[in-house]
Amino acid sequence: MTTVVFGLAVGTWLLAIGLFGSVLATVLLGYEYATGDQSFRRVSQGAAGVATGSFVIALLYLTSQFLSEDYTNAYVWDNTANYLPTLYKVTGVYASNAGSILLWAMLTAVVVTTTLLLDRYSTRGARLSQSLGMGVVTVFAWMLVNDSPFTPLSTAYPSVAANGIPQDGSGLNPLLVDPFMAIHPPITFSAYALMVVPFTVGVTHFVAKLRGTESVFDNWLGSMTRWLRGSWFLLTAAITLGGIWAYRVLGWGGFWSWDPVETSVLIPWLGLTAVLHTLNQYRRSGRYAVLAPAATAVLLPLAIYATTVVRSGVFRSVHSFAGGGIGSGVLFLLGTTTTLAVGPAFVHWFRTEQSDAEEAGLLDRATIYHAAVLGFILLAFVSLWGLTFPVVRSLASGVEVSVDARYYNLWSFPVVVGMLLAGGMYAQQERFSTRTTVGTAAAVLVASLVAGVVLARPEWQLASTEPFDPAYYRAIGSLSVVTVLPPAVYFAGAWIIRYVKRVRRLTGRHAKLNETGIVLIHVGAALLIVSVSFVYVFSTTASVGLVGATELDDPGERIVRDVEGSPYTVEVTDYSPENTPTMAEAAMTPAEAGSVDTSASTVLVKGEVTAIQRFEDTTIAQLNGSRVWVGADSGTVQFEEGSVVVARGTLSDPRSENIDALVYTNGDNFGSASDPPTEVYSPRVVDHRFDVQLYRDDTLVADGTVSEQSYRGRDMQTNDPLIERGITGDTYVVGTRTAGGLSIEISRYPLANQIWLGVAVMLLGMGLVFMFDPASGAAGGRNAGPRD
Amino acid sequence: MNARKTITIAFFLVVLGVGHYSMNAAPVIRDDAHTYQGGIEWETDPGTAFDAAQSQDKPVLVYYWATWCTYCERYDKNHYRNETVRAAMDEYVLLAVNVDDPGDGATLARQHQATYPPQHRIMTPEGETVESVEGYIGRDELLATLEKGSEEAT
Repeated sequence: MTTVVFGLAVGTWLLAIGLFGSVLATVLLGYEYATGDQSFRRVSQGAAGVATGSFVIALLYLTSQFLSEDYTNAYVWDNTANYLPTLYKVTGVYASNAGSILLWAMLTAVVVTTTLLLDRYSTRGARLSQSLGMGVVTVFAWMLVNDSPFTPLSTAYPSVAANGIPQDGSGLNPLLVDPFMAIHPPITFSAYALMVVPFTVGVTHFVAKLRGTESVFDNWLGSMTRWLRGSWFLLTAAITLGGIWAYRVLGWGGFWSWDPVETSVLIPWLGLTAVLHTLNQYRRSGRYAVLAPAATAVLLPLAIYATTVVRSGVFRSVHSFAGGGIGSGVLFLLGTTTTLAVGPAFVHWFRTEQSDAEEAGLLDRATIYHAAVLGFILLAFVSLWGLTFPVVRSLASGVEVSVDARYYNLWSFPVVVGMLLAGGMYAQQERFSTRTTVGTAAAVLVASLVAGVVLARPEWQLASTEPFDPAYYRAIGSLSVVTVLPPAVYFAGAWIIRYVKRVRRLTGRHAKLNETGIVLIHVGAALLIVSVSFVYVFSTTASVGLVGATELDDPGERIVRDVEGSPYTVEVTDYSPENTPTMAEAAMTPAEAGSVDTSASTVLVKGEVTAIQRFEDTTIAQLNGSRVWVGADSGTVQFEEGSVVVARGTLSDPRSENIDALVYTNGDNFGSASDPPTEVYSPRVVDHRFDVQLYRDDTLVADGTVSEQSYRGRDMQTNDPLIERGITGDTYVVGTRTAGGLSIEISRYPLANQIWLGVAVMLLGMGLVFMFDPASGAAGGRNAGPRD
Repeated sequence: MNARKTITIAFFLVVLGVGHYSMNAAPVIRDDAHTYQGGIEWETDPGTAFDAAQSQDKPVLVYYWATWCTYCERYDKNHYRNETVRAAMDEYVLLAVNVDDPGDGATLARQHQATYPPQHRIMTPEGETVESVEGYIGRDELLATLEKGSEEAT
């Protein structure tokens, strides 16, 4: 039950305590930094601890409300329903704005408070960094108090609450009922939360430079690298889980469609990848003295920008489920964090004379490395700009322009090819002369271009273009996808050779594992790039309509159709709709029905007939020996003692001594528990299942079920495809119900599983680097072998 | 000036170039009076569309679409860019309604109960609906529907 104290729900008070604690911590830490006075140390730690604790408790409290189906809370009522299993009750917590901000706030507060409680982060500069971190938490807390996930139903939906506490929730968005979606948001927000310390340290670094004080950046470099590697690992996993979800659940045939949300989450990922590269150089050679800390600080604003895209509703996308406007809070956070990340860094860069003592030549390793880093930034720009310019142009001229997959693919492709070449050269140059390296790279480039032009058969081209398309799109779009193959092979080969030569010289076990991690990340990336490119270009789709498929119910009956323009034949052998919950499951027990307000018009009840009374016009039957009875006009319904029945009818109070409630039913609304009157029942979910066999040139290639789910009160369907996985690719069958029956779409995704393999290899690699990097690995061990 | 600085400057020039070029090369999908699904000009105001239909004595093809709708992209790519389909569509006055932002088309979308994309309706110049297509269909089916609809509606 939502308890209201002084006009606010208890949960909202918890958030208010969190707000108070984070404001106090922000101010005190700022004061400690400004004055160097340490006398409030305990108070600031306590305030941050209280803030963090109250967010943790608030999140647990909200989760418990979800689990106990507490529909006095509007947010719970909005995001769950009785029929959902426990897992999806829990995921309802972050199904909407307020809950996911609470999750993000809690994780951020935990990370910042951890640095505050550890002694090694207690220099004066650290105070500013922690003050900024708690400042971010403060903004979250402020947003949460204003848009609380604990708002009582009676405040948010007075008209719903007027009829008493609802018996059932309005449900969870069907798209989110999926195991991959259950873990995707917490992982994403964990990744984002880990970016907060790098952000504050990056900002503090430039403030310290401007004030001429000591910077914490170098001291924290090791731990920050660890935070960021952890973040990269989680973000990579989160993006992949999202892709798997889109592939399986949306049933729209694709794991990546350059949807605004997919694109926006790629931006912090690309930024993060660039930052890890710059930090690596900074640590070894001191290069990127401005870029490394500045880029580190920019990651958090990029993540917030990604969230703005997901949540704001400015950009329409498949993620619109979270829409509804997030208000000014996130925009404020975006503005301030961007200003803090860019402002001091820019002023510092502007005021200091850049002393570039080293003269790097065009083909030096440092230059090539730099080119690769710039490549990541360029890719991030392409994604960022693709999201942004339609808004810019629409605001400027009122003209609405579209950004399609072609924009992202064709601008990113040459950059990726260039980066593969640069990355390969960098690895090769470590053991070979510049002359050999340049010669190899040039040969690869020529091979790549020749393959791109010679093998440019129409179905191999990167994009289908028309004569009226812009010249750039025609030029790049007409290249063959094979263009990417020679650079990718060169890249992977160069990194493997570098690894083999390097690992022999290394002595420490940690150092060897670290090197293994690095090579796995790069080889996995090459595999990922090739398979993504090939899937994009070589995927094929054909569809066929099967009229009458929804009438298939006799065994042996089937519909067979050839799929035009493809080698496939489809056979549908059965149609069975399944209700969730079933009518018997949805029915109340007599005890529940007895406690319902009799003004509720229609109820559904299930119970065993324990007594029967016949009157002149009416027969009534007692259920489970309780004070709840079922009645009907005599002769319309056959009651039998001992049988379990399901009845639907109007509820009334007959004002009798022995009967509290009477459910008045009739023949259409009455049945046994094994054969309930499903015609009059509207379940929450109907799963329309079709048994499908797919033949390719008379060979069975896929056999299973395709299904479409429809939802009561929601104007949407979800589709579960039938996916036949194989080493050469996936055969993907999705069925959509149409007015006449079923429409089947068959797609072929070559190399689909190599994508997942590529990601798994990269994750394994990053896991090794995270743990065993001799300089800043989580497993410690600075004593392990030499670097470089 | 060392090479790293040179390529950094080159990088910024590339960024500016890509930004400028791509923004201007992007296909226009809507200006004051039209949208451009699949590169074809569609009316957005039913009033204008039916005036044109009556004066030209052509039926109206109504297309309900959305920016995020992947099947709409397939219509754009596979059908509207096809010469044969375009020829069949020449027999029609084209009206496209964005289901998320229907504007003047809101009443018509309600009348057609067109709440999800993609959907098509074929209407007589007088406003009677003669054909409905829900969801995505193959090219032959679309052509057959267009042919049938234009016979029924005139």
